Amino acid sequence: MILPVAHSAVKRLRFLCICILALAPCVSVGGVRHFTFLYEANTSAPGSLELENWITWQRATGPGRFDQVDFRHELEYGVTDRFQVSVYLADWFYENNREHSGFAYSDSAIELIYNLTNPVVDPVGVSIYGEVKAGDRLLELESKLIAQKNFGPLILAYNATLEAVWEGNDLTQDEGEFSQALGASYEISPPISVGVELLHEFVFPEWRNEENIRNLFVGPNVSYRRRNWFVTVTALAQATDTEDEPNFQVRTIFGIGL
Amino acid sequence: MKNFAILAAAMICLVDFNSCETTSFAPPPVTAELAREGTGQHGDIATLREGRTLFVSRCIECHTLPAVSSHSAQEWPRLIDEMAGRANLKPTEREAVLAYVLALRTR
Repeated sequence: MILPVAHSAVKRLRFLCICILALAPCVSVGGVRHFTFLYEANTSAPGSLELENWITWQRATGPGRFDQVDFRHELEYGVTDRFQVSVYLADWFYENNREHSGFAYSDSAIELIYNLTNPVVDPVGVSIYGEVKAGDRLLELESKLIAQKNFGPLILAYNATLEAVWEGNDLTQDEGEFSQALGASYEISPPISVGVELLHEFVFPEWRNEENIRNLFVGPNVSYRRRNWFVTVTALAQATDTEDEPNFQVRTIFGIGL
Repeated sequence: MKNFAILAAAMICLVDFNSCETTSFAPPPVTAELAREGTGQHGDIATLREGRTLFVSRCIECHTLPAVSSHSAQEWPRLIDEMAGRANLKPTEREAVLAYVLALRTR
C-alpha cells in the first residue's frame, strides 16, 4: 500500500533545506564520496557536519516492470578522528508499476562508522559500520566491513555487507541479504574522479537459499567536488537475469558541508 | 562461481600490489633525522608527527593525497590555508600539517 506524503511535511522539508543551504557557505565538508554504492574507510573530520541527499532511480523492464525513485536525506557528523554518526532523516520513494503509483515514506535510520586503519599509510584501511533502520512495517539491521587502499590517485574499495530485514504488519516476513561491492576510482584532476563499481548481492528470503537469488550489477561512476560541496553519480546495469530486480539503476549523491 | 573468482582475483591483485608499492605512495614517516633537519625551522618531532597524521587522514576526506613534491615550499602555505576550512583544521593543526609538509619539501 502506498501512503501519501503529507503536503505539510514536504513544506517543512523544503524549509529545512533552505535553512541548511543558507548556512552552508561558512562551514566544512564532512567527506567527499568517490562512490555511491560503496562506503570509504575514512571518516569525517571531528566537528564537521554534512548534508547528503541521495536519489536512486531504478528501472525494471519485462513482465514485472517498474520504475522507482528513492530519496534519502542524511546528516553526517564527525564525532572524533575515527568515529562518525549519521542520521537518515527520511527515506521516501516514488513508485510506478502496473498496480499503483505514488509517493510513500519508507523509513528513518541511524548509522555509525568506526575507522580502524588508514588507507594511505596502513596496508589496508578498514572501518566497521552498523546501521539500524525502522519505518512503516519495516525493521532492518545492517553491518558492513569497509576496506580501502589508496595508491596515489587511485582508490580501491571493498564492502562486505550483511543485512537482516523484518517486514509486514507484524514484522513476520524476514529476509537476509549478503552483498559485496568492489570499486575503483581514479582522480584525473583535483576536482574530478572517474571509476567503476560492482555490486554482487545474495538474497535469502526467510534466511533460506531455495530461490538461489543472485544479482550482479556493474557500471561507471564520476565524482565532482568544489569548495564545500560534491556530487557523485553511478549508473549500474544488471549483469544477471533476475526478473524482480532493476535492469539498471542510477544513484546520485549530492553532499554539502554545513 | 565465476563472479567469486573475479572478485578473488581482484582482491589478490590488491593485496599483492599493496605489498610491493605501498611505501612509494605513503608520505614518509617522521624520523629523528627529518626532525633534526626541521628543528627550529618547521617544528619539533611531536608537531611533525601530528602533522603527518592529519595530512594522511584529513586531506583524503575530499581528494587523494598529493605528492609533497608536486607543489613548491612557497605554494604550500596558501594551499593549506585554502583547505583548512574544508578539513576542519584548527589553527594549531594547520600549523602542524604545514610544518610536516615543509620539513619534507625543504630537506
